[in-house]
Amino acid sequence: MKKNGSSFDKKTDKKASSRKDSRLKEFKRSAKEFWQEFKQVRYGIVGLILLIFFVLMVLLEPFIIPFPEAGDRWSDISYWIDNPRSASPAWTNWFSSKKSTVHEFLSEPEFQVTETPQFQVQEGTFIYDYKYDIPPGELTLKARGKGNIVVEAELIRPDGEVINLVRKNYNSRNETEIRIALGKEAETRIINFGRTYESAENSRSVQRHLLKPMEILFSKAEEGILVNAEPLKGEYQIKLRVVTMGQDSYFKDSEIVVSGKVFGLLGTDDAKRDIWSGIVVGTKWAIFIGLLTALVSVAVGIIYGVTMAYFGGWLDNLMMRIYEIFVSIPMLPVLVVFSAVFSPSLWILILFMCVFYWTGPVLTVRSMALQIKEETYIEAAHALNASTGRIIFKHMIPQLIPYAFANMALSVPGAIVAEASISLLGLGDASVVTWGQILHAAMKSSAVLKGLWWWVVPPGLTIALLGMTFAFLGFSMDKILNPKLKTR
Amino acid sequence: MYGQYAIKRIIYAIINYAIIIFILSALFNASMEATLVSQIEEMIQGEFMARDLTGYTVTEINELKAQRRDELYRRYHLYDPMIVRVFWRTFDTLTFNLGKSTNVTSSAGERDVSIIVGEAIPKTALLFTVSAFFNILIGIFLGIKKAQKPGGLLDQSTSILTMVVYGMPSWWLGMMLIMFFVYKLNLFPSGGILSTPPPTGIMYYLDILYHMALPVITMILLRAWGGAYLIRNIVLGTLQEDYIMSARARGIPENRVLYGHTLRSAAPPIVTMSVMSLLTSFGGAIIFEGIFSWPGMGNLYWIALQQNDIPVLLGNLSVTILLYMGGLVLLDLIYGFLDPRIKVGGKR
Repeated sequence: MKKNGSSFDKKTDKKASSRKDSRLKEFKRSAKEFWQEFKQVRYGIVGLILLIFFVLMVLLEPFIIPFPEAGDRWSDISYWIDNPRSASPAWTNWFSSKKSTVHEFLSEPEFQVTETPQFQVQEGTFIYDYKYDIPPGELTLKARGKGNIVVEAELIRPDGEVINLVRKNYNSRNETEIRIALGKEAETRIINFGRTYESAENSRSVQRHLLKPMEILFSKAEEGILVNAEPLKGEYQIKLRVVTMGQDSYFKDSEIVVSGKVFGLLGTDDAKRDIWSGIVVGTKWAIFIGLLTALVSVAVGIIYGVTMAYFGGWLDNLMMRIYEIFVSIPMLPVLVVFSAVFSPSLWILILFMCVFYWTGPVLTVRSMALQIKEETYIEAAHALNASTGRIIFKHMIPQLIPYAFANMALSVPGAIVAEASISLLGLGDASVVTWGQILHAAMKSSAVLKGLWWWVVPPGLTIALLGMTFAFLGFSMDKILNPKLKTR
Repeated sequence: MYGQYAIKRIIYAIINYAIIIFILSALFNASMEATLVSQIEEMIQGEFMARDLTGYTVTEINELKAQRRDELYRRYHLYDPMIVRVFWRTFDTLTFNLGKSTNVTSSAGERDVSIIVGEAIPKTALLFTVSAFFNILIGIFLGIKKAQKPGGLLDQSTSILTMVVYGMPSWWLGMMLIMFFVYKLNLFPSGGILSTPPPTGIMYYLDILYHMALPVITMILLRAWGGAYLIRNIVLGTLQEDYIMSARARGIPENRVLYGHTLRSAAPPIVTMSVMSLLTSFGGAIIFEGIFSWPGMGNLYWIALQQNDIPVLLGNLSVTILLYMGGLVLLDLIYGFLDPRIKVGGKR
């Protein structure tokens, strides 16, 4: 008996595995067929390439962004402090005749150290090769220090002029970060330096608060330095002399930040954040939000539609009524009010979007399922006493999978745009960096009015591009599945 | 038969609307009541400030205030159980008794939410019907041109355009156009519906048109391709019918075949598509109007959000849904009218 049973088991095992094999083969064959057809649709291929590009962007995120913690510390001001404010992308220099200063860090020079029992003197010279037309926004001296420190800095221009920049005392028991905005500290001295070269008439005509120290510092010392300055290119030396007093005192890791007018791939926003990093970090959220919403809502929609078709009768009627209620609600306004009142997290937002998006495929699926229901193999399954769940999930839904994929691809862009819209209004989940959030910040500081295009164009463009990617994929799948649309 | 169908459709819609409003009332009941309570406090404070209170002691005043509060709570059903309160809120919303705003006022300074929302409706309607009109016109023209030469250069290029703008947020395109046409070229006004001060006479209407140009262009740039694509598919399907072939065989001029025969029988789906696209763009109008500061219902959401005005937000929402559903009902009625084959309920 036992033996018999086991051999029987083996047989069924074999049968099952062979069936699995054949199913796998079947799947491979149909996938290959699909691919053959898909290859013919040119924009489908473009969509696929774009999708691969976006996926690569997500996978390679840590390697392609200069600020690896951009995602977690997007709204942390201290993380972005060394960046210039509202700087345009670095490549804009290629297209303009007047070159803007590129953001740069001047690394610590060799310090000459003179030590006495009471104090220690460090002397070194930062060298900056200035070769632009539009001067930097600021020179910031950055270092770490402890104890009693005196910092002195002077600038030697290429023309030999020397300007005293700063002399400052620091006294702290713990290690602190020292930041000195050199231009701001020396503002009066720099302006006086400018005035000595400017004609009296010009000097009187300009208002003091309009003078920018950096513009004077990097301009030729001649008449017109205040009103119509010519850039003075060449090697600038910033001499630093630091006196540390006492045993525990020290001064180290110094660096000068030349705040450029152009920065990185996509510039910075007015909170000094690197926009390129934000865009890359936002990519994964956009894809995630779009795909998850599409997946859940299409799955629900298909099951709903098939159930309607399969059972028919009063259940069909009831489900139709519920469906009608859902389709007669405009999603975005409800989503906006919902978000305004409850300020939901990203997950709740996705869930809420699914509540509205599942209606998309229902009607088509229902009519398709009504046809499938009449097929003979469904009848055969009935005759074999297959359960309802088995018929729906094993025999009917697999027939709809290709349609489901096309529908899913086409509902991704909508979900991404919806999330972006909510975020644009400032109602999104602030703990993630999405493209909509970046646009919201841009709206809030009226970037459109100020002409900060590098802040407004990229996030929207990526939304549009990702939407286009899925549209290409969806429409090409639609074209393959829907032969009536083929061009004759 | 058609009358029956129409009445049935309308009644269904009303029931649906009531259900939706009930759900929304339940969902937002807590925050609405919090607003109401603070409004009542404000009202009592105001009343007692205006009243001559000499001769009353502090405890007496407090008692009077409590009495008044009690009275108002009773009037606004705040003592009733939760479910009854939700029902009252639903009833109020259905009868357009949308309450008072907390901050937003109408142009005349009124704080009645129904008046505030009512002011915004015509402006939204104007913007969206004008742009829908152009969209449909361009869509039909382009769609037929596409269907005439399927696979041709025009057909392919506009189809690609459809997909290119498929996931493009309309408000972002609006921002781009504003940045370029307004701040760079100074061709259009940056937003609003009228210049300040508004011109008089015929210039008044021209001024509105001038302000409407950019939003309408934005919407055409985004939607006309998709409309043309759908119309192309509908027309292409019709062109394969036998009667078109016979009409051509009879020597009827191609233009008449296209615009007469084909368009007539393709009209119902085209109307559906057009109204649907109008409704979807209306649903997405929130952001769009805000970008152009077009003082319609979408812009009202922005204002209410900025001023954290929950009653206006909810009132506006209920009216938005009503208009949206009204559009859907209208769509069905037109469809049933245009296509005599539709006889819903005729089976029984």
